[in-house]
Amino acid sequence: MIELQHYLILSAALLVLGLVIIVSKRNAIAILIGVEFILNAANLNVVAFSSQGIGGLDGQTAAIFLIVIAATEAAVALAIFLNFYNIIATIDVDRGDKLRG
Amino acid sequence: MIKPLFFYIFALSSVAAGVAIIASTNIVRMAYWLIGMLLSVAGLYFLQGAYFLGVIQIIVYAGGVAVLMVFGVMLTSQRVAAQLRPRRWEVLWLLVTAAMLLTGIVATLLDARWSPEEAAASNNVADFGIHLLGKFVGPFELASILLLIALLGAAYLARPKVPTVKPEDTPK
Repeated sequence: MIELQHYLILSAALLVLGLVIIVSKRNAIAILIGVEFILNAANLNVVAFSSQGIGGLDGQTAAIFLIVIAATEAAVALAIFLNFYNIIATIDVDRGDKLRG
Repeated sequence: MIKPLFFYIFALSSVAAGVAIIASTNIVRMAYWLIGMLLSVAGLYFLQGAYFLGVIQIIVYAGGVAVLMVFGVMLTSQRVAAQLRPRRWEVLWLLVTAAMLLTGIVATLLDARWSPEEAAASNNVADFGIHLLGKFVGPFELASILLLIALLGAAYLARPKVPTVKPEDTPK
């Protein structure tokens, strides 16, 4: 029997992997891939709780909303990156320093 | 007995996809590894009995978001490969920090105790729909508004800068 903690540890591993991807990559789309990792880790967490009988169906419902938010975030972020690419002619996020940040 | 085997297959493939993305410098391969991770997570949903979520994960994520990523890769294709690597000491610090974070989270998880309720959640899609449109009807409507805003916002942001209709095309 797979315990709840197995899923939670896998979720933690996916979270850390996503964080490493976000921090280490300079390609904006790779950063978006890291964000998807973190969102999937959160989803796996709530679904694990839900399927072990903690909180009923609330976890699966929250996972549906997370998927909706992830899809909208990907669409808007890709539109922003296309604009970024049109203006700066590269997808390297380190070059987007026009605001001197 | 077959469930732990499938759990470890899906878990290892999703973690391996993450490691492959970190090690890779080719953005197209990263997008395809992302699809592998999404399908593994969908398999984990099926394994937990969340069949509806697994199907939604495959349709929306692997079918929609990942294809969107591949489109983004194609539209911003570039000749950056070698110079977009982090420096060696940056990699060292990053790995140390990530290992500490993972150790902390796992140690906390191993300490925690949850008491499962007796009645496991129903996996019936009908119950799920009643739950979604009963208790969660407010967030459901908000999600529809969010989708509309994202549709309009993405179409507005990604519009071409130059007018596509030439002056001689317009009727005099």
